[in-house]
Amino acid sequence: MEVLRTENLTKKFGGLAAVAHVDFHLERNEVQSIIGPNGAGKSTLFKLINGELKPTQGRIWFNGEEITGLEQHVISHKGIATSYQITNIFPKLTAFENVRLAVQSRRTSYNCWSKAEDHQTINEKAEEILQKIGLGEKRSNLAANISYGDQRHLEIGVALGTEPILLLMDEPTSGLSPIETRETVSLIKEIAKGLSVILVEHKMKVVMDLSDKITVLHEGEVIARGNPQEIRANEKVRRVYLGGVKE
Amino acid sequence: MLPGAGTKNIFQRISDHSVLMIILVLALIPFVLPYEALATQMIIWGLLALGYNILYGYTGLLSFGHAAYFGLGAYTTGIVLIRTNCSLLAGIGAGVLVSAIGAGIIGFFCLRRRGIYFALLTMAFAQMLYFTASIWESLTGGEPGLRNIPHPPLEIPGLFSFNIYTPLRFYFFVWALVVISLLLLSRILESPFGKVLQGIRENEKRARALGYNANRIKWLSFILSGTFSGLAGALHTLYISFVGLEQLYWETSGKILLMTLLGGPGTFFGPFIGAGTFLYLEDIISGFTQYWMIVLGPIFVLCVLFFPQGIWGTVRDWADRCKGADLKRGQGNWKS
Repeated sequence: MEVLRTENLTKKFGGLAAVAHVDFHLERNEVQSIIGPNGAGKSTLFKLINGELKPTQGRIWFNGEEITGLEQHVISHKGIATSYQITNIFPKLTAFENVRLAVQSRRTSYNCWSKAEDHQTINEKAEEILQKIGLGEKRSNLAANISYGDQRHLEIGVALGTEPILLLMDEPTSGLSPIETRETVSLIKEIAKGLSVILVEHKMKVVMDLSDKITVLHEGEVIARGNPQEIRANEKVRRVYLGGVKE
Repeated sequence: MLPGAGTKNIFQRISDHSVLMIILVLALIPFVLPYEALATQMIIWGLLALGYNILYGYTGLLSFGHAAYFGLGAYTTGIVLIRTNCSLLAGIGAGVLVSAIGAGIIGFFCLRRRGIYFALLTMAFAQMLYFTASIWESLTGGEPGLRNIPHPPLEIPGLFSFNIYTPLRFYFFVWALVVISLLLLSRILESPFGKVLQGIRENEKRARALGYNANRIKWLSFILSGTFSGLAGALHTLYISFVGLEQLYWETSGKILLMTLLGGPGTFFGPFIGAGTFLYLEDIISGFTQYWMIVLGPIFVLCVLFFPQGIWGTVRDWADRCKGADLKRGQGNWKS
């Protein structure tokens, strides 16, 4: 079953098309990677899907419903979450509160009378996510004070807190050591059992390891798509992107 | 046993029961200060700064036009009491209502811009109200202001009627309303909605990404802030039996901001400490010289340079560091 589809999706900044005529499509519970050189339009594509940017042209369907041009917070409630490349958490709140706030977003925004800490179902869900991302011990630490590796996991935890159907992951392993990268990859494998993932990543090993399918972007356009073997064998992809990369 | 181990230091004790503590402290100050009127002035401005702090300290929006809601509350209560025969509480209620509506309208437009443009818009709207009040003499009394505001008793018709216009009684009348405001506000700040405000302050972009309608939530925060500021305005009218144009003037907006910065933005005690310190210093220094701002100015400069967390924020951080506590605060401990 199809969970996301874009048709002729285009975003222009001035005269420059950052994303051009992209037809993208994702099946439920699939992990699909988007690869391409810097400036290929990967992050812009994410922002179009999650509503941070409005497309210049084209349309987006999610779960059979058109979401083109909807406000970001509305799209979030449809079930699309993003984990960001540059860590984008609440620095002066604790790890727990970061996730709790995300979980709360599905349940109540305007309740101004009951105590937030008394909402047990929210607390339990937040605790469960905190355990899953391995931050149970650090629940009371301020997000600003935990290690970079932990912050990267918290970033994912905050995205999971909204209980998404589709998770957009923008370079989840960026800046991580090989050991931390391995941990993150197994975390993503765990997460991906229950939802669809679009992954932007530069580390080819991670991409090949996680992806069911790969789409290659170059200068805003899709130049190839296929399973990892097909992409590895694709002549055009080798030329523009994989050229120097050893497998 | 190591000093401090296992025991809570005094600041943490205060934080644990912050609302109760502040209510008690406020109940004592008229007996400590040289005269009751100064204490009354302090809690009215403290309430104003408390309202301001919802927007600036907890939501992260720098308004430079809070004189507008202070003034709207003050003028409305004054006008209603002069022109109608209504009761004291109805007069205050009218002031609060009009400032809430005013904040709703002004906030709606200001929140379309961010940062410095937002601040300038809030200031522009406040100045518009200032000029409107100065021109519309038949309603506001213009330059000389509104005088001869009646002093209706505190009454519920048929139940009781009570004269509150001795300095000490009036102080405790204001105190009671401040206590209600504090209880309401502490409840709101601890609620899911209050947590979202703090989330928006910390990272609006992510709050949006989490599905929070940041625009609407900021607007509600703006209205809430204006409402409490309006209550302060209404009380101020009763306190000095006069409403003057300077209440709407941009200097008043600046004064509110200075008090909040001085006390500690984003802390629950801060606004009262800031307002109290400001007015106390003003009271003492103006006894020596009419150029009291020359003395107060450098104090603010030093505060902002060396204690950007304000008086209470600095004391609190210092206490935490002594304790080596790992910041339970982040759990949304807005309290201290």
